[in-house]
Amino acid sequence: MKKYMKKSEIWTFGIGLFGVALMTGWMPDYTATFFADFAFKGKGFNPETMANTISAVFLVAGIVGAVCELVIGYLVDNTRTKFGKVKPWFGFGVVPLAFVAMLVFIAPNTNNQTLAIIWMFVIYSLYTAFSCAVESPSNCFGSLCSPNPDERSSAISIASFLRSVGQSGGMVVLMVVAYIMKIVMGKQQYQNAEGRGLDLLISTAVCALGLILFVMIFFTNNKENVPYTNEKVNLKDAIKVVFTYKNLLMVSITKLAGFGRGVYGTVSLYIAVYLLGSKDLKLALLLPMGIGTAVGTLLVNLVLKKFSTKKTFILFCVYGASSLSILFLVSRGIGFNSGLIIPFLILNFFCGLQHGNTNVTPNIMIADCVDEIEYKTGKRQDGLAYAGYGLFSKIASAFTKGLGPWLLYTWSGYMVSTDANVAYAAQTDATLNKMLAIYTIIPAIFVILQAVPILFYDMVGEKKEMIVNALAQRREASKANDADTAEANA
Amino acid sequence: MEKKEKSFNLKLYAAIAFFAVAAALVLMVLFTFKSKYTAFHPEEVARNYVDTIVQTGDGYNAYKTALVSRNKKLKYGDFIRKYYMYPVIYRETSYKPGDKTDDLKGFNDETYMSEKTKKDDGSLQGQVIEKMYPYYVQLTENGWDNYGEIFTKYFEKLVQVRKDVFGDDYMTDEIMFTALESNVKTFGNSLTGTEDEFDKNTKKQISVKSIGEYEKVYGEDYKFTSSVTGEKAIDLKAYKANIKADKFAEYGVSADDITDVKCYTVEVKTADGKTVTSANVTVAKIGSSWYVDNTATDTTPIYSFYK
Repeated sequence: MKKYMKKSEIWTFGIGLFGVALMTGWMPDYTATFFADFAFKGKGFNPETMANTISAVFLVAGIVGAVCELVIGYLVDNTRTKFGKVKPWFGFGVVPLAFVAMLVFIAPNTNNQTLAIIWMFVIYSLYTAFSCAVESPSNCFGSLCSPNPDERSSAISIASFLRSVGQSGGMVVLMVVAYIMKIVMGKQQYQNAEGRGLDLLISTAVCALGLILFVMIFFTNNKENVPYTNEKVNLKDAIKVVFTYKNLLMVSITKLAGFGRGVYGTVSLYIAVYLLGSKDLKLALLLPMGIGTAVGTLLVNLVLKKFSTKKTFILFCVYGASSLSILFLVSRGIGFNSGLIIPFLILNFFCGLQHGNTNVTPNIMIADCVDEIEYKTGKRQDGLAYAGYGLFSKIASAFTKGLGPWLLYTWSGYMVSTDANVAYAAQTDATLNKMLAIYTIIPAIFVILQAVPILFYDMVGEKKEMIVNALAQRREASKANDADTAEANA
Repeated sequence: MEKKEKSFNLKLYAAIAFFAVAAALVLMVLFTFKSKYTAFHPEEVARNYVDTIVQTGDGYNAYKTALVSRNKKLKYGDFIRKYYMYPVIYRETSYKPGDKTDDLKGFNDETYMSEKTKKDDGSLQGQVIEKMYPYYVQLTENGWDNYGEIFTKYFEKLVQVRKDVFGDDYMTDEIMFTALESNVKTFGNSLTGTEDEFDKNTKKQISVKSIGEYEKVYGEDYKFTSSVTGEKAIDLKAYKANIKADKFAEYGVSADDITDVKCYTVEVKTADGKTVTSANVTVAKIGSSWYVDNTATDTTPIYSFYK
């Protein structure tokens, strides 16, 4: 089949997603830290009120994000410009996003707690809305980069790989910024500046600059190779797209069905403390998994050349659940002691491989679903298709954030230290084993559950081939029609 | 269609957007850094120094903005390690401040650990900290201006107390910091008082309400506010001529590094505007940052005003 993308376009698509992830991957955790520890330090605000407020800020931002996903998706599908339908969103939206992200780390100098609370709600909700307006369309570009499904899959795989690298890029930026600040200011003065959150401010500026640079490369070098259809989409149709097309719905539901996969993140700090001996080693614990994820992202691309998206997804889910179960069994066999560290870290790498699948395959499936919807309705609704997936992702993420702490602090019987001089209390074997289960077996169950909706997914094989060919013919016919009309007018 | 796209120069837009945003980000960072990083503001450095001491009696942490913490290669904590902790930990070696410790066998070696140390879940360490507290209070009765004597005597005593509790000579910088910082915190609580505190998850009480010394004297709703009320001119040449050269050498500072010096009077007032204590704080400028000259500042009055 004909190739539509230049080689450089495949890479600059990935570079663009890397830039977006550099900013959006950095923001949530570090915003929470900034709001809690630095923004209003020394102002004498009630700590309990502030802690509850920060939780509420993220809850509201979650709702804002979910609503924005749908609204932006709807607006994207009604966008008709000479650049295409999604390019203007990330190309022009990235400028205000960079500013708003920066403003999140510039707290007002106020002694009024109410004003401080209002500011946190407003600024973070604004950031969420702008990030949605850039991130969602840039992800959606995958389905518009090429009508050729193979070429599209390769582009999405590479872009997903670079996006997953970008998500951790902020941590590297912070480390480099800290290193340079120490050299320039001296170690103690750096620590004083760090105490005011100034390292976070500079790191955010670097991430924002990276965002602009990489997205601009993407914006100037890439073009949408799938023509948009001219029919207007109304709100009713928009909601219908998200909830009524079986294949698209199944892909979105995988996120909900597998929401508990992410609970390992809640317990990882404690695994670092009780297994590796220090909370500072959380990065050491997550690094093998992160490398595994990056390798897995590339591996998926190879597997997709042999198997359909459906088979690839299910295969990786079975593998993921198996690797987590093996990690659990090995850990139980060796016991929660220093002898477990090396095998645990090695197996962590293998557990990370499965995440490559969840980063890549659903994005390719959505692009295929957009084709299917266009085939059935004559309307190309990339924005809404990705928005629906994004919406389900955000709901799943909210469930994960609820389940994780409940499992850790209630179900496992975790004991909090009551001694001011001891950071983490000793835990019983039963609690440690339950922590291990939260890291391994419980996510494994959800990894299997997320594969269940995909059993009903059928945009593969002959059906997919038929739809791709039919759409290609339709576009050729439409092009010829346009040419005839232009000739007649001339 | 192609003709239309050429009317908007994407590359020019991208370049302008990048450079405009870069310039704006740099300005935002510079402005925020300048306003939040107190070392650029001499009055704020002086005020902050007094305020840290007066709010919780914490002269230990106040030094983080003083010349003692100026050394670019050493954090304040590293300075304490080099001059006061390592001489104790490596007391049976030829260690001198500044020597490398990699090849030295000190009392931080695991071979010095007793069974009690190996099995301690934190409770014995808690006993050591409790036993050290009265000694800490005694040592810091007149404040922290003579920090060298406080560190030296405190760590010497810690070695003895730890041996009584654990039955070994094992000693690390972490044990030393934990004990000292815990005593600093407890002392702060004894001044400010504490509230009942409950663990969010287990609902168990982790802290009991207590009335602090400040509360006894100034009432439970007391509030201290520090502000600079005066400035005294200091002749830079005369100042440089009188600096304590040996101390400055420890801090990695020479007289030539100092480009300006000021002395501020900082007053501490209660909510009703009554002045409860004050101190004259000398600040010296090195590069574009200001530091409290701890060798030329007497803070004794702000440790005892409530007594």
